[in-house]
Amino acid sequence: MNQAEVTKLISQLKISPPTRLRKFRTPRGPEGRLDTLRKTVTALVKHERLELNRARALEARMYTERLISDAIRYGDCHKTTMEMADYWLIEKQLVHKLFKVLVPRFENYNIACTRIFYVPRNMTDPRYSKAVLELRGNPYPSLVRDTSSNKNLIHNILLEEAKKAYRTKKYAEIAAKIDAVESTVGLENPTTTESDGNK
Amino acid sequence: MRLNSLYRCLSPKIPTTHLNIRRFLSLGPEEYQRQSEIFISEQKRQRESLGRIEKIDIQYEGPPENCNFVMNKNISTPYDCAKHLGEKFKNGSVVALLNKNHLWHMHKPLPDSCILELLHYQIPNPHVVNKVFWRTCSFLLGAVVSDAFKENVEVHLHSFPSPSVKSGSFVYDVQLNLDNWDPTKTELKVLSLEFIKFCQKEQTIEYLDVDKNIALEIFKNNPHKTKQIPDIAAHNGDKITLFKVGPHIDISRGPMLPNTNHLGRVTVTNVIKLNTDIEGSPVYRFQGVALPKVINLNHFAYGLIEERGKILNAGRIPNDHGTLNEDNSFVAQVN
Repeated sequence: MNQAEVTKLISQLKISPPTRLRKFRTPRGPEGRLDTLRKTVTALVKHERLELNRARALEARMYTERLISDAIRYGDCHKTTMEMADYWLIEKQLVHKLFKVLVPRFENYNIACTRIFYVPRNMTDPRYSKAVLELRGNPYPSLVRDTSSNKNLIHNILLEEAKKAYRTKKYAEIAAKIDAVESTVGLENPTTTESDGNK
Repeated sequence: MRLNSLYRCLSPKIPTTHLNIRRFLSLGPEEYQRQSEIFISEQKRQRESLGRIEKIDIQYEGPPENCNFVMNKNISTPYDCAKHLGEKFKNGSVVALLNKNHLWHMHKPLPDSCILELLHYQIPNPHVVNKVFWRTCSFLLGAVVSDAFKENVEVHLHSFPSPSVKSGSFVYDVQLNLDNWDPTKTELKVLSLEFIKFCQKEQTIEYLDVDKNIALEIFKNNPHKTKQIPDIAAHNGDKITLFKVGPHIDISRGPMLPNTNHLGRVTVTNVIKLNTDIEGSPVYRFQGVALPKVINLNHFAYGLIEERGKILNAGRIPNDHGTLNEDNSFVAQVN
């Protein structure tokens, strides 16, 4: 009867997970796969920015997102969450970092707490495609230039002028509409008074 | 490169009398060659007249680290200094700043020891850089327009007003012997494509200071420039600053970009007929918008900028009674 909706059982992530998990070639099968990813997740929580192979980065991102979102949702007094943190973070001092540093940082985020950049492919050796995976709010200098906040950049000046032109056009339209309404009202009144006078 | 589409649309309107004066037009390969020859010979003469090579000490300030360069006086340019710093600085620098107050074209030889800074598009306050970019766009628009039409269309470049990014578009005023030409969308698109092709040639923009007489010789077939040259020379110590890109030469105060490959997206947005008292054929205002290659903008936002660029630019409209200010644009005389 009162079955819980399956999709509501785990917290929804702010990234779109793929439909299938990526396989990594390890002799130890699925467990070996998780072991490699544990190393990456631990390193990400520790260093906050990593350069990885693209597949590894995308896969580790999902597990990190899940771990942090669970930590935010349930807190450090929840047994299962603590067990998960214990499993994913190989270095145990990082468990404290997860609950005391990362949870307060990401509590009020509306966006994902990790960020991924695809590194341009090396044309001489295109087999490996790299990516940079980072936690948001890290202390390192930004990898991308901030082109939106500086109003003096050329495209921002041009967009500002386009906005002004659009507004003046709209105001003129509104003013024309008001004038049109007023003029019709102004025309009606004299005719009515005249007709009254004629009567 | 001649625009077939333009020709097809325009040819019926062209009076046959203009076909006779084709030989005297300021354009065409012979004219370009004549101008280039004068320019190159003058450039060569100036180089040879230098005599003994002296060394100057250039103090570079900025990333990756402050350093000193020992360069050749009146030969080395800021571009040569940028070559020592690496490819990023060589290709990305827009204009040099000497002694923290003087803008300097990247290909202009340095006359003396100085403090050198290289500016790019993403500096915190890129006002001057934007202005340089906009000015170069106007200059290149002139180069594109002068080569875009069929030979039976008489093209005389007039001038462009002082560059203002806030006006929403860059401008070149050109005299064409076409009455009431209203460009179609296709014609504008073809002009934009010509512009893009021109920029893709990656030509360096050269700089040269010449005497008044040489400038008059170069522009002897352009009635407007011939009139402007004495005024400009009077304000500039009897010298005229010329810029050359490919075969095209124009007067401007400068500075300009070092190369045409700095331009990313370019559009010629509109061509509007102006009401002026200039004698002869009507004057048209060519307008366009462009962004540097390093600034990426999505097509929707760029579309908004393009739409804005279609409105008639508020820059000074040229007329017969005006003097020139230092930026090759007309200013009304104040009595």
